[in-house]
Amino acid sequence: MKTLQFHYHMEIAFSEPVHSHIYTLKCLPQTGGTQRVEKCVYQILPGGRVQESTDSFGNRMLYGTAEEEHSLFLVDVTGTAVTDVQDSDMPQNTPDFSVYRYGTPLTRPGRRIRELLGRCRDRTADMSLRDKALVYMEAVHGSIQYGRGVTDINTTAEDALALGSGVCQDYAHILLALCREDSIPSRYVVGMMTGHGESHAWVEVYDGARWYGFDPTNNVPVEDAHIKISHGRDYRDCSINRGVFTGQAAQRQSILVEVTENGGTSA
Amino acid sequence: MQNIELTKRAETVNELLARYGVKFGIYKNNEFKEQLFPFDTIPRIIRKDEFAYLERGLKQRVMALNCFIRDIYGEKKIIRDKIVPEEFVYISSGYLAPCDGVLPPRGVYTHIAGIDLVQGRNDEWYVLEDNLRVPSGASYPMIAREICRRSSPVTFETYHVEDNRYYAKLLRRTMDYVNTGGHTVILTPGRYNAAYFEHSYFAEKTGAHLATGSELMVEDDYLYFVDYSGRREKVGAVYRRISDEYLDPMTFNEESVIGIPHIYDVYRKGHVALLNAPGNGVADDKGIYYFVPKMVRYYLGEEPILQNAPTYLPYYEEDMRYVLEHFDDLVLKDVAEAGGYGVVFADRMTARQKADFIALLKREPRRFIAQEVIDFKDIDIVENAKRVPRKADLRAFVLMADEPIVWKSGLTRFSRDPDSFIVNSSQGGGFKDTWVLSQ
Repeated sequence: MKTLQFHYHMEIAFSEPVHSHIYTLKCLPQTGGTQRVEKCVYQILPGGRVQESTDSFGNRMLYGTAEEEHSLFLVDVTGTAVTDVQDSDMPQNTPDFSVYRYGTPLTRPGRRIRELLGRCRDRTADMSLRDKALVYMEAVHGSIQYGRGVTDINTTAEDALALGSGVCQDYAHILLALCREDSIPSRYVVGMMTGHGESHAWVEVYDGARWYGFDPTNNVPVEDAHIKISHGRDYRDCSINRGVFTGQAAQRQSILVEVTENGGTSA
Repeated sequence: MQNIELTKRAETVNELLARYGVKFGIYKNNEFKEQLFPFDTIPRIIRKDEFAYLERGLKQRVMALNCFIRDIYGEKKIIRDKIVPEEFVYISSGYLAPCDGVLPPRGVYTHIAGIDLVQGRNDEWYVLEDNLRVPSGASYPMIAREICRRSSPVTFETYHVEDNRYYAKLLRRTMDYVNTGGHTVILTPGRYNAAYFEHSYFAEKTGAHLATGSELMVEDDYLYFVDYSGRREKVGAVYRRISDEYLDPMTFNEESVIGIPHIYDVYRKGHVALLNAPGNGVADDKGIYYFVPKMVRYYLGEEPILQNAPTYLPYYEEDMRYVLEHFDDLVLKDVAEAGGYGVVFADRMTARQKADFIALLKREPRRFIAQEVIDFKDIDIVENAKRVPRKADLRAFVLMADEPIVWKSGLTRFSRDPDSFIVNSSQGGGFKDTWVLSQ
C-alpha cells in the first residue's frame, strides 16, 4: 500500500476567444479494484454549472457548457489515493467483462499482431492467464520504441506495430489486441504515474476473479505507482476531455501531471 | 382485381405525388440527387384473415425483439443461457457499449419497427429483415392513399379497405407514451436527407416540431427546443431520424455536426425519450436475425408465428458444410451492410468470383449469413400500359406503446427490373399502396 498525492492539470489555450464551449470530462479517479481515493477536489474554469454522471463503463463524468467567451479552459484535479490495496471488500466494478474480450476498430488484429502472438505462444502454452499477459506485455515493450509524433490518436494497434514506434496509447492498444486475439478480457486504462509528466495509459486483464494491470510502456505490472482515472475498450472510451465550441480558433492543449508519495517533496 | 378505376388515374396520382414532394434523395458520385419515388396504382391486397395472422406474428416478433434489446443492455440472460453466442452481440456494429445499463423511458426500445416480409409462391409469408433503427417509408402509402382517394373516390366505394391515415395517431400515441414531460420533436438531419419528405410530413400530421440538431440544446440535464425568436421549450420526446453514431458528439462520433451535444446524457438520466432507442441496431443485425425465432421461444415461451427465410450461419460448422454444398442455390448477405448493398446471389457469380467468395467466407464466417432464395410471389405493375409481374416485398410497421400495434397498411416496394430481387428504393425500386381489406 502506498498513499499518493496527485495533481492533474489540463489547459486548452485558444488563439481567439470562443464561447458556448460544451465539454465532457472523465478526469476523476475513483475507488475500486486496488485503489482507494481518499480525497478528490476539482476545478473547471470557466465551467458553468457542472453536471455529474457515470458512463456505461463505470467512469465518473463531469459535463457542462461554458457559455461565456474565454481564451483559456482549464481543468484541475487534486487529491489523495491509496494504491495497491489488497482488500477483497473493494468494489471490483466488473459485472460484465465480456465486452472487453472483443476487438474494436483501434485494436483489431492484422497479420503483424497475429505473428507477434504466434511468437509468444511458443512460450505461453501452459501458463496462467496472468503469466501470459506478462509475456505479451514484454513482447509489446520489445516490439516498438517510444517516440512521439509518429502515431496519432487514430492509429490502430496493427499500424503502430508496423511503424515500430509510438506512445503509451499505442503500447496499450497493441497489448489489448494480443490479449483479445487470445480471448483474454482486457481493457484500456487511463491514469497517472508517480513523478512528473503527462497522463498515462496501460492495460488491465481479467483473470476470472479480478483485474490486473500491466504497463507495456514501462514493462512493469501495475502495483503501487499507478493511479487509475478511467477504463474502457480502447482510447476512445476514455478521452479525458471531449469538447465542441463556437468560434474560429486554433487550440493548444497542455497537460501536467504530478504524483508524489505522501510526505515526499514536490518540485 | 382486374380493372380498378384507379389504374386509369395513374398519371394524375404520380403528378400529385411529385407536386407534394414525395421524393427521396440519393447520393451518386458524391452528388445529391432527388428522385421521384415511382408509384404504381395496383395495390397489394391483403385479406382480413390473412392480415390478422400477420398481425399476431408481427406483434409477437416485436415483443421478443424488445425483450432481447432490454436483456442485452441489461442482464444478458440470453447470452448466459447460451441461446445467442456472445460474439454475435459484441462484434455487431449495432451493439453500442454506451447503452449498457441504460433503461429508456418505460422500457420501450422498439418504438417504430419496420419488418420486411415477402410472400412466397406457396403463399407463405417470410420475414426477411427487422428494421429497428430508423425504419422509413410509412409516409409513402399514407400520402399515396390520400391522393388515390381524391383521384378515384369510386374505387374506395367499391372496395372495403381499412383506412390507413390513422398512422399519424398511432405515431403520436407512441411518442406520447414515453414522453418524459415536454414537447415532442421530430429530429431531422435536414433537407438533404433521403427521407426528408417523410420527416416533414410526420411533423405536419402529428403536430410535433420538426427540428434540426442546431435548434435543440441541452442545459442543466434537460433538452430544449429553441425557436426562431430564441424562446425555449422543454422537450420530452424526440423521434430522431438520425442514426445513433451522429446523435451526440460527446458520446458517439466526435465529428458529428448534426447531433446535439449531451442529448445522450440527458437520456441516460431519464429526462428525455429517444425514439427509437439508441443501440437497437444490435437486434436488427443480419447475424442476429437468425436467432429471432429462438428469442420468441426464450422470452415469450411461445412458438414463433412468423417464420424467417431459411437461414444458415456459416459460423456453425454444420451450417458452413451446408452452405458449401448448396452454394449455388443460396443468397449471401454481408451482415454489416444495409439498403440492398452487400447481397450476392451465388448462381450469378463467375467461377473466379465464387472461389474468392468461398475463401473469404472461410476466413470470416461471422461476417455472412446464407439464405435460400425464396421464390417470391410476383405482383403486377403497370409498365407501358401493360400489366407485368415484378418482385415485391412488404414493410409492415409495428408501433409500440403499452403494447405493440400493427398498422393496417404497409409499404410495398417492387423492383422495376424483372430480373432483380432487390426492391430497395436506393436501388431504383418503386412502391405501391398496401390495402388491408376490412371485410
